[in-house]
Parts: sequence; structure tokens; C-alpha cells
Amino acid sequence: MNQINIKRTLLLLLLPGSVFLLFFFVLPLIFVFTESFHGSTGELTLLRYTEVLKSKQFHFVYLRTLKIALIVTPLAVLVAYPSAYIITKMTAGKKSVMMSLVILPLMTSPVARTFAWIVILGRFGLINQTLAAVKVTSEPLRLMYTEGAIVAGLLQLFMPIMVLTLVSALENIPEEVEEAALSLGSGKTGTFFRVLVPLSFDGLIMGVTLVFTGCITAYVTPAILGGSKVLTLSTLMRQEALVLMNWEGATVIAVIMIVTTLVLYNTLRLMRPRSL
Amino acid sequence: MAFIELKNIDAGYVKGSPVLKDFNLSVEKGELISLLGPSGCGKTTTLRTIAGFILAEQGSVIIGGKDYTKIPPNKRNIGLVFQNYALFPHLSVFENVAYGLKRRKVDKSLIKTKVSAVLELVSLTGFEDRLPAQLSGGQRQRVALARSVVIEPDLLLLDEPLSNLDAKLRDEMRAELSRLQHQLGITMIYVTHDQIEALSLSSKIIVMNEGLIEQIGTPETIYERPATSFVAKFMGFDNSIKGKIESLDKKFFLINVDGKIIKAVRTEKTDLTTDENVSIFFRPEDSFLISKEEENSLPVSVNYSNFQGGSTRYSVTSGKTELSAEMPGKNNKMGKYEFIKILPEKLIIERVKA
Amino acid sequence: MRNNKLFTAILILMFIFLLGPFLVIIIASFGSETIMRFPPKGFAMTWYEKAFAIKMFRTTFLISLKTGLAATFTALVMGIPAAYAMVRHNFPGKSKVELFFSAPAIVPGLVVGFALLRFFIYYTKMPVIMGLYLGHTAILFPYTVRVVSASLRNFDPSVEEAAVSLGSSPLHSFIAVVLPNIRSGVIAAFILAFITSFNNVPISLFLTGPGVSTLPIQMLVYMEYYFDPTIAALSSILIVFTVIIIQSAEKVLGISRYM
Repeated sequence: MNQINIKRTLLLLLLPGSVFLLFFFVLPLIFVFTESFHGSTGELTLLRYTEVLKSKQFHFVYLRTLKIALIVTPLAVLVAYPSAYIITKMTAGKKSVMMSLVILPLMTSPVARTFAWIVILGRFGLINQTLAAVKVTSEPLRLMYTEGAIVAGLLQLFMPIMVLTLVSALENIPEEVEEAALSLGSGKTGTFFRVLVPLSFDGLIMGVTLVFTGCITAYVTPAILGGSKVLTLSTLMRQEALVLMNWEGATVIAVIMIVTTLVLYNTLRLMRPRSL
Repeated sequence: MAFIELKNIDAGYVKGSPVLKDFNLSVEKGELISLLGPSGCGKTTTLRTIAGFILAEQGSVIIGGKDYTKIPPNKRNIGLVFQNYALFPHLSVFENVAYGLKRRKVDKSLIKTKVSAVLELVSLTGFEDRLPAQLSGGQRQRVALARSVVIEPDLLLLDEPLSNLDAKLRDEMRAELSRLQHQLGITMIYVTHDQIEALSLSSKIIVMNEGLIEQIGTPETIYERPATSFVAKFMGFDNSIKGKIESLDKKFFLINVDGKIIKAVRTEKTDLTTDENVSIFFRPEDSFLISKEEENSLPVSVNYSNFQGGSTRYSVTSGKTELSAEMPGKNNKMGKYEFIKILPEKLIIERVKA
Repeated sequence: MRNNKLFTAILILMFIFLLGPFLVIIIASFGSETIMRFPPKGFAMTWYEKAFAIKMFRTTFLISLKTGLAATFTALVMGIPAAYAMVRHNFPGKSKVELFFSAPAIVPGLVVGFALLRFFIYYTKMPVIMGLYLGHTAILFPYTVRVVSASLRNFDPSVEEAAVSLGSSPLHSFIAVVLPNIRSGVIAAFILAFITSFNNVPISLFLTGPGVSTLPIQMLVYMEYYFDPTIAALSSILIVFTVIIIQSAEKVLGISRYM
């Protein structure tokens, strides 16, 4: 193939996807973005932003969303790191079983998966029934529609992503490196923290990015487990748009959500050491 | 005109920075020619340019008098054998071999006869229904050979075809390749970085370095009389020592090395003259360690020796230069060796560039 | 090793936390009461019967199925060539194209759905079902590119060159040699993309209208009004189906390596 031919082939291969995304993904987003800066008569204004940013409710919900993400992410790291380490040490057959168990929650309908938490946390759910049976409490605790319920749901939702990212990061570290550290007198724990964690840092940051931004934009979990009592950014946006019919407000929240994720995405990317 | 002509070729992977620059090559019909050189020397680029996977930015590729420069690889009738076999994993041995014939719309019954014949030629009769994954490395390589030979190519290109095989299998396959070439008389271009492979297979060797041809010659010439220091080193002339030409006649150079006179045969056309600084190259295997001074010898002190089974390799120092010598058998007379002797016809000399 | 014991304990606890809720919901779905109680009282299939009896679940299931199939197919048709270009060719701006292709997976789905609603449904009066299909296709596209790329990278490019040197055109060698050998990657991409579409809520949330809704959205709507275990029954069915699909896909294709 000559140069012109290669260019033509490349264009033919890349064109369908590019055109599709331009029309049905980029264009609507640009529309919403510009719309957020226009007033009711079409004039350029920041009015919509000042309205939302002034609102006490928005402040509260925004900070709560960040808080939930800040709780879920380190918890996920704390559990996923040791688990991923054990999985990478397994034989191929066992590892495949583990991996299919890890991706199972990821592939299950989020509605089904989150509904399970109602059965656990509800007024007559697993926890309250157990507490009543051992007579610790006389009144059922209110566990549903709390921030704690959202944290539990999100942790189950995002744990698999963290495990998968860490497994592939740890898998790339040759066994010999670990053995070298051990032979040089490093203990098991020392090896883990001084050799394995630094070498898989790139994967860690990647996992943190995915989980953190995921927590901020997740919809189903806070919708079911937080309801209208404990709103997060995404449930607030849906309420503004579909319940209160406040399209302007919803648009601004949408833009703020994108900006927040992109800022997080790029900040965390800068923390990655070098592309390994 | 030769069967294959590459004329003033500029070619490479990145536009504007070609690996081959103003490259020329001609191959006669029926020859088995080797492109020999270290990785990155441009031998694979040359092969891929002939195959048509790399399009020359400049110059022309002429095969059998026809200009192939702009013809896509699937329209050139050239067989290609890859280092990693590149068999179609989802097709049986039969279907792999029949692939090119089907593309050429050959009649079904004729395909059957041709495939059977070629499988017999590579001793794989009975393996028709196997998948590549069910074959050993050597068998896979033979399927790859059969697949590219069956289309009766004008030219067969082989890209390090034996490098993935173990030593014993490599010897067998080398013999088989040689036999096939004689039997079929196909013109072959063989890319390798292994001197032994090139020496034993080819009728002509082209040694390449950094996109340029260092030397073209028969295996004997390349082995005995390397034309450049690069070829010399590549062919195992591991020793080099500096000297100055004192005088020369029709047959010999007389070279002064640290006050001793070393005689070297003057065979090539050369413009070297008196008072020029030169490097002398020779093989450890061509050097003798002796205890008394003789003609064409230099004083040395022995550092250590390494027993290698059939021979012993000595590390010695002459003046400030480290040299090696290899002599048959196990020898314990280390301390008694005082001189290194080299025969005049085993020396290659080259001008030291300022 | 003390360390490994602690780590193994954490692994086991994690699996209980990840998978325990599934067991809980399946058990609860067989209760006979109209409230969600665990452990349930009695044993009944009532809620399964009810789940099947509700017409909206049946119609939205079909919409989910059709949308999922159509979007997955479209995404693959565009994604396979794109993946091929990305893996086999180097060109200026490649990393930018890569980022562009993965953008639908980075931008929050809720925002994508909202933007499609504002622009296409309200502004250009496109039918809602069309918006649903396009939105799903957009988010599935990065998946198909990623999974197909992964399997293409594992396929030696010299095999294609062998086909070309034997007389195949580039297109023919792609169809006759490349496609059969990346088959399992394409199937994996299909399964992953379809499940992703079938389960999706954020995109679909804003793209519902009269007579148009997906099964997960319908389940969410139902939950706002009723507290009986119908959703538990429906969820259990979905969970069991997912388990079967994932386990067999892992056995046959090793699907987890494409995640």
C-alpha cells in the first residue's frame, strides 16, 4: 500500500465511529454547554450558574457527594489491595474462577444489585431482624435512606473495578522482583509496601480515578438507597429536571458534574508517575 | 540485466527518514542469496521492500524485467516465509497450503494434487487435517515453506526462518532448505543474522550495516577475506591491533607493530601506501601461541585461559592490546607462551580513519 | 505466612460483601409476605407470578432487548474497523483519537442522556426510542473498541501479511484471516456491550417517553410506588441469568481478561 492508500484506508476505518460520536455525543454536549450560558431570551449570562451556586441545597449536596466519594475510595483500596494480591498469586484455574466472581457484580443489573441492600438494610431487613433477635434494639434502626447505605452500595458497586485494575497492575510485576526483595532481607510486609505498592502505583491511581469519579456520577445507588431524603449530585440533577422541571438548573448541574469529573480525571492523571 | 534489480531505493518505516538510502542490489535467477547483518542493519527492510510491504519512497524494484515498484504485495507473485511461521491458526495444514492457490482460482482437483505433492516434498504427508497448534515448531516451519512454495513464486523471501527453532532442528531444516532450493531451483533471498547459516546455505552473501552494503561475495570470500573492519568483526576476526605500514611490494605489506615487523598478504586492490596507520584483524582460531620468537610473531603475556571442550581460549596482552588465541586441546603450558604468531594470509588490514 | 493469612481473610470477607447480597435477595424473593422481610416468612412463588403478570415489565423488557441488540450491533460495526485502525496503524494524533473514542466512557452517562434529550428530543423532535438507541450506541462504542483492540493486539500481524503475500487483498485477508481469529474477542465484546446496555440506567433515565422505557427504569418506577418483593423476584431472575452468562463466557472465552 502506498501513502495515499494508507490514508484512505485509515479514513474509511475511523470515519464511521468519529462521525457518529461527533453527531450523537459531542454535538448534544456542546449544545447543553452553550445553553447553560444563555438566558431565557438568548442573551449571554452567568445567571444560571450564580443561581445554582448560591443555593444552600446545592452546596450541601455537592459536599455530601464529595464526602461519600472520599469515604468509599480509600475503603475500596484498603480491601481491594490485599485481595488483588492474593488473586495474582493463585494458579491460572483458580484465578479465572476468582475473576469471574469479581466481575459478576459488575455485570449484574445495578437495580437488582442495589435492591438487595433494601433487603439487608430495610426496616424488616437482615440487620434489623438480627438485632431484634438478639434483643440489642427494641426499635428497628433507620438504616435505609442514609449516607451509610449509599456508601455500602457504592462500595459493592466499585470494589470489582478496583480489584480488576489492581490485579492487572500487580500481574505486570515479575515474581523475581518480589523474590529479589525478599532475598535482600525485606520482610513480607516490607516487600509489599516498599516494592509492590510503588510498582503498582500507576494501577492504583487508575483505580482511584475510576472509583472516585464513579462515586460522583453514580445514579442508581443513591436513587434507591438515598431516595429524595439523601440527595447526591446525580439524584439532585434528575429531581431538578424530571420532578421540578427546572431544566436550567439541571443543565448547570450537568456542566458542573462534567467539569468536576474532568478536573479529577486530569489531576489524578498528573499523579501517575510515568506511563509504564 | 539481473533477475531482481533494486535501483537507488530509499525505503523505511517512517517517511522522510529511510533505513535504506540510495540502495542498489541485483540478484541472478536461481541464486540463493543471503542478507547478513545485525538487527537494525536494514536487511528486513530490504526484504519487505521487495515483498511490497514497504513502499520505496525513491527508486525502483524490478523483477524479471518488470517494474514492481508500485504493485501491491498481493499482486506480486512472491513467496514469503516468516520468522514466526505466520500460519493461519484457524485453518488446517491442507487449507493453509491451499490458500494461495485458491486466491489464484486454481481448479479444485488441481489444488489437491499440488498440495499433496508439496506436502510430500516437505515430508508432511498425512498431516493434512491437523491445525497449526497441533504441530511441532519444525513441522510448522515446513508448512510455512510448503505454503509459499506451492504457488510457484517467482522469488522466495525468507525472514530468519530458522531462528525460532532449537539448534538440532535448525541444522535439519537448513539441510532441507538447501535440498529444496536445488530441487526447485527457485531464486531465494534469505535474511539472517547468523553467519553459519549464511555461509552454509548461500551461493552469495551480502553483508549489511546501517542500511548500506558492506561487502558482496561468495561465502568463501566473505569468510576468508572480509573487505571492511565491520565484516571482519562480524565474521569472527575478534582481534585487532594497530600498526604502521613500513613498506610494501606486490605480494605483501610489511607492518610495524610496536617495533616488530608483521607480514600481511596483499590480495585486494588497495590504495594503502607506506607510512599509513592501519588496523590488523585476525581470528583467535588463526593465532598460535609459541614460546620462542618466530617470523610474524609478537611478544605477549598470558592473562588466563578458558577450556572450551575441543579447544582452549587464551586471553593475552601484547603491548597495551588485549588479544585472544584459540588452540586445540587442553593445554597447561600457560607460563611458557611468550609470543603470538599469525600467518600472513590470515590477516586483514584496514586504514585507521583520522 | 501471617501476612498471607490476613490477606486471604480480607479476600473472603470481600467476596461475602460482594456476593452475599445476591443470596439474600434470592432468598427474600420466595417470601409470602407483602413486605420485604429477611429472613422471609413462608414460601411462595407469588412474586414471580406477579413479575411476569405485569405488562409494563414485559414490554420494557422487549424494548431493552431490542435497544441492546441494535446498539451493540451498531457499536461493533463501527468499533471493529476503528480498533483495527488503532492497533495496526500509526498516525499523527493517534493518542487524541484514542481519547476521543473513549470519551463516552468518561463523560457521566446521566449527562449524555440529558444532553441527548435536550438536543435531539426537544430541539430536533427526534423520537424518544431513536434517542435511546443512539445514546446506548455511543456509550457501547468505547467498550467494543477496547475489547476488539485487546484481541487484535494478540493476533500476529505477520499472519495477515502472509495472506496478502499469497494473493489476498487487504479486505479479503481481514475477512478470511483476521476475523475468524479474533472471533472470541468479538463475541466477548458483544456480550459485554449487550449486558452494559441492558443494565444501563443513567442514559435511559432521561430518554423515556410515552410507551418508551427500559426494564431497569421501569423497575425503578415500580419501586417508587410499591414495596412488595416483586422487584426482588425480577432481580433474582436477572442475577441468575447474569451468573449463567458470565460463568459460561468465562469458561469459553475467558471474558475477564477483556474487562
